[in-house]
Amino acid sequence: MSKISGHDRLKSKVSLKEILEVAIEFEQTARDFYADLIPKVGKNIRYLVEELAEEEQEHYDLFSQMAQRDDLEQQLKTEVDRPVNDHKFSDCVHLPDLGDAPDDQTVLQYALMREHAAMEQYHSLAKSTPPGPIHELFLFLANEETKHKNELEKIYYETVHSGGV
Amino acid sequence: MSIRDVLSPFSAWKNLFRDPVTIVDPLNDRPGSERYRGFHQNDMEKCIGCGTCEVICQNGAIDMLSVEGVPAQQGDSGLRPRIDYGRCCWCALCVDVCMTGSLTMSNEYKWVESDPDLFRFTPGVDKKHWDQAELGYQRHGDKHLMSRERVDMPELEPESRIDSFVEIVDGYSIEAAKLEADRCVSCGLCIATCPAHMSIPDYIEAVRDGDYERGMKLLYETNPFSEVCGRICTHRCETTCAARHEGDPIAIRWLKRHIIEQVPFENLLEIIGKPQPATGKKVAVIGAGPAGLTAAYDLARKGHEVVVYEAKAAAGGMTRYGIPEYRLPYEALDKDIAVITSMGVEIKYNTRVGPKGVGDIAMQTLQQENDAVLLAVGIQLGRSTRIPGSDHPQVVKAVDLLHDITAGETLKVPKSMVVIGGGNVAMDIARSMARFQLQQHGKIQVTLTALEDRDHFLADATEVKESLEEQIEILDSRGPQSCEIDDKGKLLGLKTWKVLSIFDEEHRFAPKYDQQDEQIHRGEMIIEAIGQMMDVKLLGDELTETLEWNRGRIEIDENGRTSENWLWSAGDCVKGPDVITAVADGHRVAESIDNVINKQEAKA
Repeated sequence: MSKISGHDRLKSKVSLKEILEVAIEFEQTARDFYADLIPKVGKNIRYLVEELAEEEQEHYDLFSQMAQRDDLEQQLKTEVDRPVNDHKFSDCVHLPDLGDAPDDQTVLQYALMREHAAMEQYHSLAKSTPPGPIHELFLFLANEETKHKNELEKIYYETVHSGGV
Repeated sequence: MSIRDVLSPFSAWKNLFRDPVTIVDPLNDRPGSERYRGFHQNDMEKCIGCGTCEVICQNGAIDMLSVEGVPAQQGDSGLRPRIDYGRCCWCALCVDVCMTGSLTMSNEYKWVESDPDLFRFTPGVDKKHWDQAELGYQRHGDKHLMSRERVDMPELEPESRIDSFVEIVDGYSIEAAKLEADRCVSCGLCIATCPAHMSIPDYIEAVRDGDYERGMKLLYETNPFSEVCGRICTHRCETTCAARHEGDPIAIRWLKRHIIEQVPFENLLEIIGKPQPATGKKVAVIGAGPAGLTAAYDLARKGHEVVVYEAKAAAGGMTRYGIPEYRLPYEALDKDIAVITSMGVEIKYNTRVGPKGVGDIAMQTLQQENDAVLLAVGIQLGRSTRIPGSDHPQVVKAVDLLHDITAGETLKVPKSMVVIGGGNVAMDIARSMARFQLQQHGKIQVTLTALEDRDHFLADATEVKESLEEQIEILDSRGPQSCEIDDKGKLLGLKTWKVLSIFDEEHRFAPKYDQQDEQIHRGEMIIEAIGQMMDVKLLGDELTETLEWNRGRIEIDENGRTSENWLWSAGDCVKGPDVITAVADGHRVAESIDNVINKQEAKA
């Protein structure tokens, strides 16, 4: 997979292929990040990191399959306006240091930030593409990320706000 | 013969022109009067199966029976009254006493059957043509056999309580308690709701009878924390009380407290009885909170040797270190604990259990030296919002402050502060700090901000009401965004946004804010009271890895046993925060431990 240069990131127009590549990289780095984190956290919160890694793997598979679809080849060359939040999304490729043994709240806050960035990115892209399969694709991706974010928010509330004590 | 005698037979003919007195078709043409007490109707939507009708029936004509399609649930026994018209005398006492007004009588009175057994029927379930009849006997709206209003509990007025930690609630007099107890219809719906299944109608009857020793015996059968629960129980029992349908629920919690106050402590041990002879089995309990001590009490009464290891200087867990004295005085808690230790339970204070080499005693040592170990450490660590600025030294956690208050540490309280949270802990810390502010500065300035709107506060309604009475400024629907700090590092206050909604359409946590509605709540201190968690460090890495977990909590079976066969867990750390649930959990776990170690003995 080609790495995107800093110059490319600053262009006002971006091809759908580039977007998809960043998205794949986004999911891959997240998957690897969570997979590396699994042995570092206590068993009591390991389920959380394992679930996140599984989720990112699913997204990675989904995006990889899309990149290889012949029927999308022409459309991937289409250029669209770079989304306003693109830098935020791209920045998520750089992984943070959550410490030696991050707790559940740290992991959840980080995961929520990533999901939020992805959700905004795909919503923006959906808005900037004309009706058609690509538009549908971004809508689908936005909904996927929104669902995941909602699930994480639910876990966050149940974990951190422990029954309103 | 007079002329009258001649004419009188003819005068009878005039009756031919009068309306007939008899009814041509009496089976169909003669309705019952407007308020006639005819056949019964039962509104299935309103009936809660309380059985009050069955109890009051003087002829034994009513039986409460389960009905297909009507499941038992909180506040509804799932039973419905079946009426035997071979016994019913149509007195309508059942209608007069009905707690929800579901039972009425139609003005229908004709029913012909060849099978006499069919005259036993369940109104509302066995469909009849009078089910929808509008006329008939219904209890008059204003007439109730039972008083609908709760007897007021005397308590200190805000102005006389706000500058001290003196207990607010005073307790019922004997006369007041009897009046309140008289309102109970002994339906027993409360028993199913109470996690410990306390014998509530029976101990209320003991109050009516003035037999407090019987009441006390009943309390201790299911709850060794009756002093505590008589004051600060979440009293879920009252939420399913039949009386709440047309008035105030019975003050069950206050009646429990009343019983305790009538029996001298010296008589308690005689009433409860001595433990069984020693079995030679040993159990270690980690944590002297309600769950740990309830289990310790039960196990000690069964003759086992129980040692409780408590990291703090006194027992009670969050009931001591989390609930202010104005709600639960330490003497009341001490009485409960004294009863528990009098059963032979030993509590080792200031003794922290940890992994090997950490703390005062190793978990492995407890495993080796005991037949069973119970982990009941509660959720003692406070959560933080982790919003920007929340690592400032003047941003503190409510549980830590509440602990310091109980520990008697001198608190230097600032003149203004902001509390984040809408639960009971938030109210407790706000009210405690308000008292200190008044003592130290002569003025209260505490602002409490909660995510939830007022109708959905997690705190008890009484706590919210009393907080407002005590001059706490409560702002609902405010989402914390950052702790504001000036250039010199001084904490200025809390920035919040208006919360538009907390949950999405599927009731998932997804807060939405109005960023235009931004406020800075001035405060020299910010107190976070948003949630708590268990301190898992005491388990050590090895045991943490060995144990099975269920989404962040130690996995236990229905009896509280973990995946390690020597270790059980109970209370807040596995079930979430609630005293009476912890008590119920303590009983369940004690029974399981007793069963297991008795089997070990049988094998040996």
